[in-house]
Amino acid sequence: MIAVRNITKTFGAHKAVDNVSFEVKEGETIVFLGTSGCGKTTLLKMINRLLEPNTGEIFIDGKNVAWRRPEDLRRGIGYVIQNYGLFPHYTIEENIGTVPRLLGWEKGAIAKRVTVLMEKLQLPPEQYRSIYPAELSGGQQQRVGIARALAADPPVLLMDEPFGALDPITRSSVRKDFRDLDELRAKTIILVTHDIQEAFELADRIFLLDKGQIIQQGTPDELLFRPAGDYTRQFLQEQQFQLEAARIATGDYPALIRAFDHFKNKRP
Amino acid sequence: MHQQAGKLLQQTLQHIGLTFISLSIAVLIGLPLGIYITRNKRAAGIVLGVAGVLQTIPSIALLGFLIPLLGIGAKPAIMALFLYALLPIIRNTSEGINGVDPGVREAAIAMGMTPAQRLFRVDLILAFPVIMAGIRTATVINVGVGTLAAYIAAGGLGEFIFGGIALNNTNMILAGAIPAALLAILLDFLLSLVQHTGSRGRRIALNVLPIALVLFSSFYVIPIGYNSRLLAGFTPEFMGRKDGNIGLQSDYGLTIRTVVISDAVMYKAIYENKLDVISGYSTDGRLKAYDLVTLTDDKRLFPPYYAALVIRKDIQAKYPELTPVLNKLTGKINDSVMTLLNYRTEYLNQSPEQIARDFLVSQHLYLPPRNGNKGLVRLGSKIFPEQYILTEMYAMLISGYTDLRVESKTGLGGTKICFDALTYGQIDMYPEYTGTALLAILHPPSGLIDHLAGNKDSVYAYVRGRFGKEYGLSWLDPIGFNNAYALMMRRNEAAQLGIQTISDLVHYQKKDR
Repeated sequence: MIAVRNITKTFGAHKAVDNVSFEVKEGETIVFLGTSGCGKTTLLKMINRLLEPNTGEIFIDGKNVAWRRPEDLRRGIGYVIQNYGLFPHYTIEENIGTVPRLLGWEKGAIAKRVTVLMEKLQLPPEQYRSIYPAELSGGQQQRVGIARALAADPPVLLMDEPFGALDPITRSSVRKDFRDLDELRAKTIILVTHDIQEAFELADRIFLLDKGQIIQQGTPDELLFRPAGDYTRQFLQEQQFQLEAARIATGDYPALIRAFDHFKNKRP
Repeated sequence: MHQQAGKLLQQTLQHIGLTFISLSIAVLIGLPLGIYITRNKRAAGIVLGVAGVLQTIPSIALLGFLIPLLGIGAKPAIMALFLYALLPIIRNTSEGINGVDPGVREAAIAMGMTPAQRLFRVDLILAFPVIMAGIRTATVINVGVGTLAAYIAAGGLGEFIFGGIALNNTNMILAGAIPAALLAILLDFLLSLVQHTGSRGRRIALNVLPIALVLFSSFYVIPIGYNSRLLAGFTPEFMGRKDGNIGLQSDYGLTIRTVVISDAVMYKAIYENKLDVISGYSTDGRLKAYDLVTLTDDKRLFPPYYAALVIRKDIQAKYPELTPVLNKLTGKINDSVMTLLNYRTEYLNQSPEQIARDFLVSQHLYLPPRNGNKGLVRLGSKIFPEQYILTEMYAMLISGYTDLRVESKTGLGGTKICFDALTYGQIDMYPEYTGTALLAILHPPSGLIDHLAGNKDSVYAYVRGRFGKEYGLSWLDPIGFNNAYALMMRRNEAAQLGIQTISDLVHYQKKDR
């Protein structure tokens, strides 16, 4: 679905992304995980051409993004940003309907689509349709942000620290709703975060980044139980126990066995 | 009264028109420039710098710069107001757009909006309150500076204000100042409502404001009195005086299209063919500098303004040798001599002292100063070159012919200040004009003015008599020149049209109509 080949992006002398290549399959949820400054957001923004790479190519559905008109490309990719980025002068309905309007949908079709999304995201339309973002709580604003990204039903969704601005309790509830959202089932999603828990909770595969390079890519279990090197191990160390316990609590028996082995090996 | 109300309405509409024409142009140019400099940071410094410098030019000086380029009337006034309105509009546009939340901007890009869509649907709408604040500032500046339009024949409420200042007529000043202030407050209030409107209001405002700008701009109708072959430019003072335009209409029956203009630019304007007739002073040095002729006042409308020294009687008594010395100047300076002396200081930039010395030497009146140990006399003068020159001459005569010491207090504002300084004993003497003393100090009943008007001897006798009786002041003999109001034309045009007197002008205007 998405193929990235030898992408490099520099800001002045600083190499933000250093010769990175990867592929994402259709319907996969990928998490770019890393500390701030590791290049994960830069990498994300090159996919919908908010930033242009210095070298390298990106393909979506086999088409080089560099050959497409940026506006058309972006209208086909959902985008959610950390501080919601809602248009303060648009009503909730207008915010959610932004991309369909740009695509020239009929008014009736837009209204219908907005209503469906608001219901799915637990924003009762009759109550919230005509008010402005400033009147909503942070969690509600984030739902509107997600609804806006999904409005035109794009096959690909990019999310830049989507839950980063929420307090921990709201965050886990929004995250749970997010996981349960049927709209997202078939989507190819790339999500950027520095929150290890979040990454493990949402990802099919995690790309651990450092200094503009992918240190390790793999399923949460692979990272947790088969770290490729010292960096992965150290990065996960602090939350190791919680992460492993979470794996076990889900009733994942292979994981239980692996965790057991893991603890056994750790004994001096 | 009714006529004044009509005039007030006309001037108010003109004022609104001037304000909005220049504001419209400023928005048309400032808004795109403001948007442009948000995208080109290097240009931002230059554009804001230039607009900032324009803002610091004093308004009357800016008008002065523009006259050679654009003449007089509406064009330079609109240009000046436009230049003043530019900075707040450019600056607030760029600040407003730069102030849009970067997250919102990023979202707009990421949703797939084109640059134009981002500008019109996001940036301009969100920057709207800040941009409107700039337009508000510009509007209020324009209403204020717009009063100066009256100085260059562009009309507006300044005509009342400057006429009132020149005539010392408080009601007339207020008739211009109050509407101007109310206009500023009202427009500021209305625009603040627009500024603080919600998102939907902003979208409506964006459609309505351009229409409103054009509508208000159309209030500026060029003041056309009647069909006129020549154009006259009169000072605000001259426009409002009985011995000015009012008298020209009533006594001579003169019908000519007039514009109100400041004497600072009037001479230049006639020289550059922007005007045909102006109201000047008969000994002004610019008469010579710009090759103008004065029209003979054949019906004696303008009262004589013969200059003479006014002195305290107690000083005359204390130093009896003083009076004959001061009267040495009597009859020595006629109109053309005074014009030449004024020309030398105003256009050749010679010092009044140098001119005074040269003149006294040429008249064989100059003597080097004596010791000056007998006592002190204090000389005053108003603030203009002619008075400086006269004061210097008197100072040289006193120190050359007597043992008195002289202290000069030049630059005592206007007539009232000089006269008060004299009566309160702050100075001992200053040069005054008969007509000024009559009209500005003594305020005789109007019947008497008509009776005296035109006769230089009876005016002199009248002011001399009353000054002596009521204030203990003495008028010395007239120096000889008459610095009165005069109508002036370019020498070649006057000759070509065969106009020598004001009656000739009246006659010319009445022909072929």
